[in-house]
Amino acid sequence: MEDLLPLVYNELRNLAAARMVRESQGHTLQPTALVHEAWLRLVKDEGRTWQNRAYFFNAAAEAMRRILIEHARRKSRLKHGGGQERLNIEEIELAEASPDEKLLLVNDALQQLEAENPERARIVVLKYFGGLTNKEVAETLDMGERSVNRHWDCAKAWLFQNVRAQL
Amino acid sequence: MNHGAANERVEEIFCAALEWKVPAERRNFLDRACRGDSPLRSAVEEMLEARSSFEKAFGQEQPALASAREISKALAAAPDFHQQMVSELPAGEEVGERIGPYKLLQKIGEGGCGSVYMAEQEVPVRRRVAVKVIKLGMDTKSVIARFEAERQALAIMDHPNIAHVLDAGATGTGRPYFVMELVRGIKITAYCDENQLDSRQRLDLFIQVCHALQHAHQKGIIHRDIKPSNVLVTLHDGVPVPKVIDFGIAKAIEGKLTNQTVFTAYDQFVGTPAYMSPEQAEMSGLDVDTRSDVYGLGVLLYELLTGKTPFDQQELLQAGWEEMRRTLREREPHRPSTKLDGMRAEELTQTAIHRHSEPRRLKLLLSGDLDWIVMKALEKDRRRRYQTANSLAMDIQRYLHSEPVIARPPSRLYRFQKLVRRNQGVFIGVGAVSVALIAGLAISSWLFVREREARQEQAHLRVEAEQARGNEARLRGEAEARAKLAQAAVFLSRGKTAEADLLVEKLQIPLAEPSLEAAGVFRGLGDWNVTQGRWRTAGDRFLKLVQANQVDKSDMTDDATRDLLRTGPTLVVAGDLTNYRKLVRETIRRFASTQNPVAGEQVIKVSLIVPADGATIQSLLPLAGVVQQSISGTVPDTAKETYMVAWRAFALSLFEYRRGDFTNAVIWGQNCLGYGDHTPTRIAMSHLIMALSYQQLNQPALARSELALGRELVEAKFPHGLEKITELGSDASGFWHDWIMAYLLLREAAPAIDGAAAFVK
Repeated sequence: MEDLLPLVYNELRNLAAARMVRESQGHTLQPTALVHEAWLRLVKDEGRTWQNRAYFFNAAAEAMRRILIEHARRKSRLKHGGGQERLNIEEIELAEASPDEKLLLVNDALQQLEAENPERARIVVLKYFGGLTNKEVAETLDMGERSVNRHWDCAKAWLFQNVRAQL
Repeated sequence: MNHGAANERVEEIFCAALEWKVPAERRNFLDRACRGDSPLRSAVEEMLEARSSFEKAFGQEQPALASAREISKALAAAPDFHQQMVSELPAGEEVGERIGPYKLLQKIGEGGCGSVYMAEQEVPVRRRVAVKVIKLGMDTKSVIARFEAERQALAIMDHPNIAHVLDAGATGTGRPYFVMELVRGIKITAYCDENQLDSRQRLDLFIQVCHALQHAHQKGIIHRDIKPSNVLVTLHDGVPVPKVIDFGIAKAIEGKLTNQTVFTAYDQFVGTPAYMSPEQAEMSGLDVDTRSDVYGLGVLLYELLTGKTPFDQQELLQAGWEEMRRTLREREPHRPSTKLDGMRAEELTQTAIHRHSEPRRLKLLLSGDLDWIVMKALEKDRRRRYQTANSLAMDIQRYLHSEPVIARPPSRLYRFQKLVRRNQGVFIGVGAVSVALIAGLAISSWLFVREREARQEQAHLRVEAEQARGNEARLRGEAEARAKLAQAAVFLSRGKTAEADLLVEKLQIPLAEPSLEAAGVFRGLGDWNVTQGRWRTAGDRFLKLVQANQVDKSDMTDDATRDLLRTGPTLVVAGDLTNYRKLVRETIRRFASTQNPVAGEQVIKVSLIVPADGATIQSLLPLAGVVQQSISGTVPDTAKETYMVAWRAFALSLFEYRRGDFTNAVIWGQNCLGYGDHTPTRIAMSHLIMALSYQQLNQPALARSELALGRELVEAKFPHGLEKITELGSDASGFWHDWIMAYLLLREAAPAIDGAAAFVK
């Protein structure tokens, strides 16, 4: 079975690459690296016990989140002279924040939301990092589509209020 | 931030407020919802503002995030992908190998979804069987479980044109396999072409296929995947015998069929969109019944006749998933005869040669009855299809015997309606204005709705579970009901009305849903009972007719309202006022907003056969308006138009009388008699309503003379009172149901005016 991994991996990489060609040329996030990391995480974490789709959606979205955040951290460490473990939020004016910095801000707020309201946080991960539609989220979490939509609206308000409180 | 009850309330109002997109309306809502609670209000407004700031600040697409989402979704699709990889490994099975008790002898087929082997079973009996190993990776356990669920039903199928499915299991490598009776044959289309069967011979074979399906349907089994490669022809002593294979298999592997990603990833798996019914393409899962197979049969017949499927398989696949579904759901295929026109000359010649014919003759053969038979089987709306495989077979037999077939070309009106249905988006815009109004109501019942949603979801799950259990029984019941109706239709067409009526009498199962075929049966039987003077039975048939004839939701045609004209008077004569009033309520609910004056006129007539209460009158007012508007200022210039307009004037006279405006009732009555149309029923009824009105206006002499005029006509029609109807009537002589209504009005008017118990024999 292990022999199959390269096959699957290759196909996913091609898929991602095809998408990325159409994206802007400027950014440094390589699809190969992205999929590679995501895939390894999935395989390493859980072996091949992906019994259902819901699990996979969750895992995929979570993987993307981690990759993006780590990537953003690395970049902002470079930008801010390295050495610094965390992004120094006080220095940021939201309007001028780079995409990476914004990601980190959202992620920090999201971590707090996870402590307070894990269900809602899960929806944010699926939607924001996983790119799922309301319908897919609804299926994944086994709840109504309208509930998903409401949670997502509330979460957006909550996250922004939280980010602003941090600044 | 606190998460107490107060916060919950803030969130509720916040979510509700989002439903209002226009700022002023949103403010309005907040005014109402917060009712001066300013901390609440500012908390909500803060949330609203924060939400939109979030979207501004973080919502815009940044490339990294966008690609992350793409990739996340690609990853999420990986289990399927992974499975595909597994399945595309070199096949695990090899000739000589043993799967369970079966020894693989020879590979006899290779399809999109698996390989088929001839195999030898040694225990408990030694015999040759076919073993189909499903190639694609799928959840073997649930495939086998689904198969087991249907196993009993499959086992009781016993028909010479059905190949038995014997067993299912898992191979050593974990793939599902099915064991079937070994059929040594080739697919039906190939057989027909190779032997240059002409159309008649093809139809003969096809009818046998229909019978096989009918048998399965009566056992509660739906095939779901009718296509040439599942209908094999073998020779028994030189006689070709079609055999339908793969029963139960599509059902067992359906879990995969409903998965969109799988479809797009492996088009070879589904493989047969060209044969898929619109409701299968819908993929709502629950909603497939025996009539899906009727559609599949329609496609097969199409292909047998023209060599092509209604929609090209390649085109469907290339168009992509959504477009394919749209095509299957909405696009009308060419008629078989027209399909030939689209062929290149040499292709057409070849097609004709295969059918032992030549192009022109073939086209002539197909156009007309065969076209309509095929198109009826291919109707998008399954209620318009043949309701059973048998009724399709019967219609073909009628064609072969040169008897008139049931299938008809669609009427122009029907085609127009379809156009409207297809363009509904355009029409819906008008409705959007009212949405804002309705939304207000919806939001105030917010909490209630939320709770109800949860309850409904529970209920829904329960229903689903019950449905799964009761499915087989229900399907069997439905199939039986449809079969009986189809049988009744045949009896009717052969003039054996009493037999047909008996059959329907015994029909215990309530009609599953409307269908044109059922409507035809009940209409015929109602009319027949009327001629027997059996009013109660007739009333029962007509009530079923009303139920069955709800295929057209539209009121553009007066088909449905015409049937009401039969039903109302019959119920009143039968003395069944309970059902009559129920009918009136239903009718008004259904047609209250019609803009079609013909429908309006008929609804008014049906609703006011006997005096009505204030609420009924009120709810008829808009219809009276439509009717009145349609005739004010118009001068009808054809006989047909005069006839129709005169009837509308009568409806208004009746309406005015029933609501107590006797002067207007007389005016409309005179107006009605002023048209140069002499339909006796309408004239009689107009006189009677005028008689009743004059009586109320305290003009007894006029009342009596009008009564006499009306009575003369009705008594001439029913010299011995109302026993039974001897002729069903026409526009000119008056339809029977209008005569009954005239009779009822006379029965109402006579005692009121001359006090005599007039005309009751």
